[in-house]
Amino acid sequence: MTELAPAPGAAPRGGLPAFRREQVRMLFLMLAFVVCYGAVGFKMGMMAASEPVEPTLAGGSELPAAPVRGEIVDRQGRLIAANLPGWSLYAHPREIRHPAKVAHALSQIFPDLDPESLTRVLASDRAFAWIKRPITPRQKQVVMELGVPGLRFGRRDIRIYPAGNLTGHLMVGVKPGREDVRFAEIVGRGGLERYFDDQLRDPALTGRPIELSIDLTAQMALSEVLRDGVRRFEAKGAAGIVMSVETGEIVAMVSLPDFDPNAPPEHFTGAAELNPRFNRAAQGIYELGSTFKVLTAVMALDAGLVRPDTLIDTKTRLAARGHSIRDMHRMPPRMTVTDIVVRSSNIGSARMAMMLGTGRVQEYLKRLGMFDALPIELAEAARARPLLPPDWTDLSTMTISFGHGLAVSPTHLAAAYATVANGGRRVAPSLLKGGSGMGGEQVFSEEASATMMAILREVVSRGTGRRADVPGYEVGGKTGTADKPRSDGKGYHKDRVIATFAAVFPTTAPKYVVVVSLDEPVDRSGPRPIREASRTAVPVVGQVIARIAPILGMRPFTSPIVGPAGGGVTTVPVGR
Amino acid sequence: MSFIDASPRSRKLSFVAKIVRLNWPLILLVSAVAGAGFLMLYSVAGGSLDPWSGRQMARFGVGIVLMLIVALIDIRFWRWLSPFAYVIALLLLVAVEFVGDAQMGAQRWIDLGPIQLQPSELMKVGLVMALARYYDWLDADRVSRPLWLLPPLLLMAVPMLLVLKQPDLGTALLLGLGGMVVMFLAGVSWWFFAILVGLGGGIIFAVMESRGTDWQILKDYQYRRIEVFLDPSKEPLGAGYHITQAKIAMGSGGISGRGFMQGTQSRLNFIPEKHTDFIFTTFSEEFGFVGSVSLLVLYVLILVFCGASVIANRNRYSALVIGGLSATFFFFWAVNMAMVMGLAPVVGVPLPLVSYGGSAMLVLLLAFGLIQSAHVHRP
Repeated sequence: MTELAPAPGAAPRGGLPAFRREQVRMLFLMLAFVVCYGAVGFKMGMMAASEPVEPTLAGGSELPAAPVRGEIVDRQGRLIAANLPGWSLYAHPREIRHPAKVAHALSQIFPDLDPESLTRVLASDRAFAWIKRPITPRQKQVVMELGVPGLRFGRRDIRIYPAGNLTGHLMVGVKPGREDVRFAEIVGRGGLERYFDDQLRDPALTGRPIELSIDLTAQMALSEVLRDGVRRFEAKGAAGIVMSVETGEIVAMVSLPDFDPNAPPEHFTGAAELNPRFNRAAQGIYELGSTFKVLTAVMALDAGLVRPDTLIDTKTRLAARGHSIRDMHRMPPRMTVTDIVVRSSNIGSARMAMMLGTGRVQEYLKRLGMFDALPIELAEAARARPLLPPDWTDLSTMTISFGHGLAVSPTHLAAAYATVANGGRRVAPSLLKGGSGMGGEQVFSEEASATMMAILREVVSRGTGRRADVPGYEVGGKTGTADKPRSDGKGYHKDRVIATFAAVFPTTAPKYVVVVSLDEPVDRSGPRPIREASRTAVPVVGQVIARIAPILGMRPFTSPIVGPAGGGVTTVPVGR
Repeated sequence: MSFIDASPRSRKLSFVAKIVRLNWPLILLVSAVAGAGFLMLYSVAGGSLDPWSGRQMARFGVGIVLMLIVALIDIRFWRWLSPFAYVIALLLLVAVEFVGDAQMGAQRWIDLGPIQLQPSELMKVGLVMALARYYDWLDADRVSRPLWLLPPLLLMAVPMLLVLKQPDLGTALLLGLGGMVVMFLAGVSWWFFAILVGLGGGIIFAVMESRGTDWQILKDYQYRRIEVFLDPSKEPLGAGYHITQAKIAMGSGGISGRGFMQGTQSRLNFIPEKHTDFIFTTFSEEFGFVGSVSLLVLYVLILVFCGASVIANRNRYSALVIGGLSATFFFFWAVNMAMVMGLAPVVGVPLPLVSYGGSAMLVLLLAFGLIQSAHVHRP
């Protein structure tokens, strides 16, 4: 064995040993190693001190910032539409080793993905394939946990509607526009999102949210009450609007059935009117029946042709062009204008319309906005134009006087009632906070407006609207029960109605209009089925007002100026 | 020269004397590092001995017994065995070409029934033994003569090429570095190493500098690959994914760590290979800077004790074996650490004694057995 001391075998053990070459080199090596350890230790310290940061794409800061869509809030600033940072999931199929396994794992995370077609995509020779978009940060994390190379993520925003179904018809939803791996455009697919699409996408404006006139709490209350009514009266659907009479601001607008704008239904088979995406409140064009008698009466009052106590002949049948106009119930031979409205006389209304003449009636209706598409801020509204008689005769004037022959949306009606209620100034319905502002064109005189309010109050205190008489809120309104036209165009159904109640409260100082329409309601609680608005739409409106008035900051009058008329039994619970 | 002809100094040590002469601090240090490994494997399995920690303990138990057996056998036997160890490892490396089991796209394993053998691991020890034996035999005056440099270079080149073919760049580099350390300790001239470094550096420089010129050596896409390889942050979602996630884990550990079994990055499978090559990220996430540095100190101490053993050992073969093996151990650690911390490209090198893996653990303990044997039987 080679002993490699400088002088073999003679290294003095006690003395100072001369270092051998190996020893020197080992010392050198160890020094080098320890320096390495030191460097690693130093780097560790740096990393430990660093804030953990997610990696960004190479040169991430130079990429154009993903355009953020503007937010939408309700009148109290509560979020209606916002954006979540989200991701898209895409694949580079060539990098994926076990397509079947990966496809199975992904279908576990996203149940809507079909593992078989996904396997085909992943096994293909394509360089790129979308898997799912958008996905939430949490889903992204779960996919990341799979640790599959070849699955990649791109940034994109997710539009969310925290209130879900409540804002379905207002928002409708969004769809992707131009997109690639790094960003995706979000485009409104309908409703407010589409109407304000340019504004929402304008980067200069995204800092300021769009403030709606909607009050989410009132919207919630309206939605719940309507849902309850639809169930109770086995209705196919319902529409409800709460509108400020001064400004035309729509505080709540509900259409049932509704849908979740976060996941709008793509395809719907069946009758169009049953499609949940159909907005009955704004798109639904209906003959709204006797609710129009109020408009006829206020026209006659405004024109100075009648006073509330003017007696009108209601005995003789009115005949024109081979049609005769009748009343549903036996009526006295002569009735006051008030009674014609309160007891809902077709003949009386038709007479008043004839006193006015077709030209004046058309002029009034036009000024009320009944001939134009709704000016509200929904993309769908522009296409929903009122249905006018193709050939407007005197008979048309007569039937329209009691709500047949002219079909409008419930929102049209609400706007017309707002005009009647606010002293006669025209209002344009609006979904924006502030609305169209006060002081529109004077359609009716203030006097006619005030007189009409008193008559509407009587409808509720002693007429068909009794079930909506919420104590302390001086509710006034008018019912309308219109037979639905047959879809084959041959006349009307006998047992299918649109039941509407248009209410104003409080009648002495009108603040809000509430319009509720029920589609084919029927009350089967009694011995025979009842479809009239007085027993269906009216109690629903009563509940709406009882719930919404406090939300809108209105206190009930503790000593009603005009109390419930004698014997008027209130069936509407108050306070809930 | 047979292993039987004894040196005059260490004629016969009694069994007890051998036990006493064992480098006990080194054994304790090795066990401590392995213990940290058990903890981590327990943690990344979500607080379970299954599937990694328990098996790792069993392997360590077997390994430490093996180590003691190797340690108690006279170093002269191992010196005699050196050429054979090298040849056997070489044969296995060749065999792996034919009967090897492909895993993760690389052919590295030989299946021997109960254990899977990674011949490249054995070669790390075999090469150091063979080179030490060569320089033990070679006259000290001739170590730097060019002719006498050829045999060791050949001894290194053959296994390196075989390992490269598997393909396993990391292990090939480690083999080369281990061999270089033995040559360095044996006293090969500084010039040799200077020329070697200059040559390597020059080639790399030329390749990189040629980019964009008329005489460009590689294709453009090959340069881009090299770029990402050297700086993974250029493609954080692709090749750099491992590294960026590892960095996040270590960053989130902070000074004192998230606490045992609290590391989210690792537990949530963000870290690939979390139980093998990237186990250190879990460690530093859960025990923070303090824990990482403690582990670092353990490694430093292992090296210091080995170094002290080299300096104290006047037998040339023993000194070279201890030096070469401890350097191999160090390189393992250094490459893994640099990779995990993003200081070096990702090459599949485990963290010695901590990462899950039977072959590496057994070979390391075997190497420590040799180091111990050289220490026990020092003249």
